[in-house]
Amino acid sequence: MQASESTGGERRNLYQRRMLEIRGAFEAGGSGTAALAARTSAVDEMVTALWQSAQKANLVLGHGVSLLAIGGYGRRELFPYSDVDLLFLLDAKVSEKEIKEPIRRICQEMWDCGIRVSQALRRISECERFSEDNAEFTFAILDHRFLAGDAGLYTKLTSDIVPRLLDRDRSAILNRLLALTEERHAKYGSTLFHLEPNIKDCPGGLRDVHVCGWLPMLDGGTDASAVTSTDNADFRQAVEFLRLVRCFLHYRHERDDNTLDWQAQDAAAAVAVGVNGDRSQSVDAAYWMRIYFRHARSIERCLRRAIEDLPPRKRPRNFTLKLDRAIETSGEFRIERGKAILRPAPAPASGAEDPAHSPEVVLEIFSAMARTGCTLERESEERISHALGPISASLEEGPALWTRLQEILLGQYAGNALRVMHALGLLELLIPEFHGIDALVIRDAYHRYTVDEHTFVLIDTLHSLERDAAVARPERGSHAEWASRFGALLRELPHPALLYLMALLHDTGKGRSTGDHAEESARMARGLLARLELDSYESDLVLSLIENHLEMSSTLRRDIFDAETVRAFAGKVHTPELLRMLTLFTYADINAVHPDALTPWKAENLWRLYMATANYLDRSVDDERVGAQEARELVDRVSALVPDQRAAVAAFLEGFPERYVLTRSPEQIRIHFGMAERLNADRVQLDFRYSSSVSELTVVTPDRALLFANMTGALAAWGMNIVTADAFSNRNGIVVDSFRFTDTFRTLEMNHSEHERFVKSIYDVMTGAMPVEKLLSGRRRGRRKAPKVVVEPRVEFHDEASSHSTLVEVIAQDLPGLLRGLSLTMAAHDLNIEVALVDTEGETAIDVFYLTHEGAKLEKKEQRALRSALLQAMEENAR
Amino acid sequence: MQKIEAVIQPSKLDAVKDALVEIGVDGMTILEARGHGRQKGHTEVYRGREYSVDLLPKVKLEIVVTDAMVDDAVNAIIAAARTGTIGDGKIFISKIDEAIRIRNDERGEIAL
Repeated sequence: MQASESTGGERRNLYQRRMLEIRGAFEAGGSGTAALAARTSAVDEMVTALWQSAQKANLVLGHGVSLLAIGGYGRRELFPYSDVDLLFLLDAKVSEKEIKEPIRRICQEMWDCGIRVSQALRRISECERFSEDNAEFTFAILDHRFLAGDAGLYTKLTSDIVPRLLDRDRSAILNRLLALTEERHAKYGSTLFHLEPNIKDCPGGLRDVHVCGWLPMLDGGTDASAVTSTDNADFRQAVEFLRLVRCFLHYRHERDDNTLDWQAQDAAAAVAVGVNGDRSQSVDAAYWMRIYFRHARSIERCLRRAIEDLPPRKRPRNFTLKLDRAIETSGEFRIERGKAILRPAPAPASGAEDPAHSPEVVLEIFSAMARTGCTLERESEERISHALGPISASLEEGPALWTRLQEILLGQYAGNALRVMHALGLLELLIPEFHGIDALVIRDAYHRYTVDEHTFVLIDTLHSLERDAAVARPERGSHAEWASRFGALLRELPHPALLYLMALLHDTGKGRSTGDHAEESARMARGLLARLELDSYESDLVLSLIENHLEMSSTLRRDIFDAETVRAFAGKVHTPELLRMLTLFTYADINAVHPDALTPWKAENLWRLYMATANYLDRSVDDERVGAQEARELVDRVSALVPDQRAAVAAFLEGFPERYVLTRSPEQIRIHFGMAERLNADRVQLDFRYSSSVSELTVVTPDRALLFANMTGALAAWGMNIVTADAFSNRNGIVVDSFRFTDTFRTLEMNHSEHERFVKSIYDVMTGAMPVEKLLSGRRRGRRKAPKVVVEPRVEFHDEASSHSTLVEVIAQDLPGLLRGLSLTMAAHDLNIEVALVDTEGETAIDVFYLTHEGAKLEKKEQRALRSALLQAMEENAR
Repeated sequence: MQKIEAVIQPSKLDAVKDALVEIGVDGMTILEARGHGRQKGHTEVYRGREYSVDLLPKVKLEIVVTDAMVDDAVNAIIAAARTGTIGDGKIFISKIDEAIRIRNDERGEIAL
């Protein structure tokens, strides 16, 4: 007894000494792989010695039992604090009961030396069975290695049992492996760009390396050694790097902890782990993390390719794309089996251009990827990655690039297309501003992902909202309910591409170490917007969103039920469009911080703030008028377009609601000003902008009775369906009424010659040359489709919204002729429309009017009479 | 040891946190909550749809402190969270029998 204890003590000392030597060699600059091999052979020696002495003491171990290393130990990859996986393999005759005690002793001795053993005891026949619930065991025995005992039994396992298992259950094992891999990735948000990655389990971690090793075994029955030789140098370097870092982490934490936390990142950067093999010079932690991400990216790419290379029948559903046949071909590329494939490169002698060198073709491919979710075929990817020089040389900026970027940003798989563009360096080529946040780790307690990945997750979130808007009846209070509500907002945006562009750029300033990243991002975005040649309205919108991108989040930390909070916030967003965009951005931004960051509680508060602010914006229009003071900057901008008329511009703007100037670009205001200047010659000025989707007609004229009613009537007579409209007037009683409408019967689209007649007839109605009733009598009434959603008509009065007018909000089914009915009713009550804001949300019309009667607010009695008249008018129109 | 649970306005969370850290309370649990006391909800109309706010957003903060700290902590919370209007919230105090730090099994006040 005494003797065996002392042997145990010696063994322990010897093992500990070996471990210290290995650690010493590692810390002196040895490779991770060397450390793994050294620990493996140290453990091998101990295990075989223990086995031999146990065998001497107990004859049961003499026959029918063999000892195998499996899992990481089987692969000779024992990290400093990894578990040691042992398999005791029994043949049919050995009694399990008799064998238990010697096995327990061997394991006990190892535990006493400080080795964490996880042992399995199996009959050889059991190894042939694959169980879904214990798939890990099957994966572990794929990496088997003989240590000691009955060699014949081991041979039976390798030449008989394992091949039989694979023959029978190959596809079940493979599917299970892929499903588990996907589950594991999902647990990490399916991204490798974590601020504190787990270098074993995260996508691009060592577990993925193992999967890369198993896939060929399960696919073609080749052995593991064949795998590494077929893989490329990047992959091997990445594996080398990860092994090094994992050894580093194990020694640092002194346990099997694989989280690369911030302290560990600093420590690794301080000794430049894995950087050119030299550990004497420290590097910047952010730089070091980029090296890590680059390697993780190589591994992830190898795994993705290995999965893609599986024959289609073996790909489980989730990895398969809907596009299993060629769906799209252009001359330069085609999409086949979910992959975009470039036309083969022409022979160098032919002088023809390689499509990979053409920015047009390459961007078109990414736009197809964003639209369809297809991936980029391997060789095409490589060709593009080598063609960045030629692409950059012939890249045209300006509207053409913006058109392509919009297509990419608006595709529902935009996030994936952008990630590939980013990985290839193409995104930085188009938007060098993005470079600063490449794999950038910004340390705070809340963010989970690197800045670039955060941006892509944000874009993914916005696209998922578009899909979620379609969910019919989500459970109340659930994530789905909020997603569908915000999704509906997204669908109403007139310029969604601007929101996506803003999202892409909002954090680029984080790459600079100045104080306010929102300001810095806006500064950087300015250059890009100029290169894309966005008009001033669009680029102001994007810049304003970027500059204010944290405003809504910070307002959420104040009392959102306080009217003052809402008023102050409304003062920053100015317009309903910006408010909607900022709301959606904030929703997606919170969600992209962390998978659990957007709780229903936060979503609800965000919605309430949105609602309160939207209501405030609609209900404060009449009181917030342009005065000499506020308008100065705007007058400057407009009069820059019409030099020498500064005073006239100021006089024109005076008294308009601020809403008018905030929702129009200086260029639009200049046009309206020009029209107002011509009123002396002709009292009705019309500006018609035709578009096949939504056309716009603006009238500038002195205010008079029935003006709005006649305009809406004339448009209704032509079968135009008004989508949004607003009516504003200035101090001198000049009215600017703008109508945006769709062409229900495609009259204008089919007959371009009708455009002139259309404008003429509106003009005649406005001048009184043609009574609108006459025009309406010939009106075609199309068959009305039954509405998808039935909207109950409502009429609401708000007396307190304005100091001198009464606000009436009408909600109704959106039907042609509705506005005409409403405005005629108001005229019949002798009411003057001070301001009108007309909007449509799906099938709901939301019309807000600020009304006065003889220059004063409406009395309660008048309100009651108007309400019943309006409801009646809506009912008549609906018939 | 006593547990202090404070239901406060979300907008006062940062101020209350800072006030507690200032007097030496460094650990706390914060829960997003909904509820109402005497301050009942209201109905908001947006674009013709009614959104009733019957349960208002609140934040519930839980701390466990030594008996000697209770008064200071309560005063700090009150000073930071009070606006004097309805809806400022409530504080509940209860006795705690034991505290255990999971990492090393420390027990009692040392585990706080």
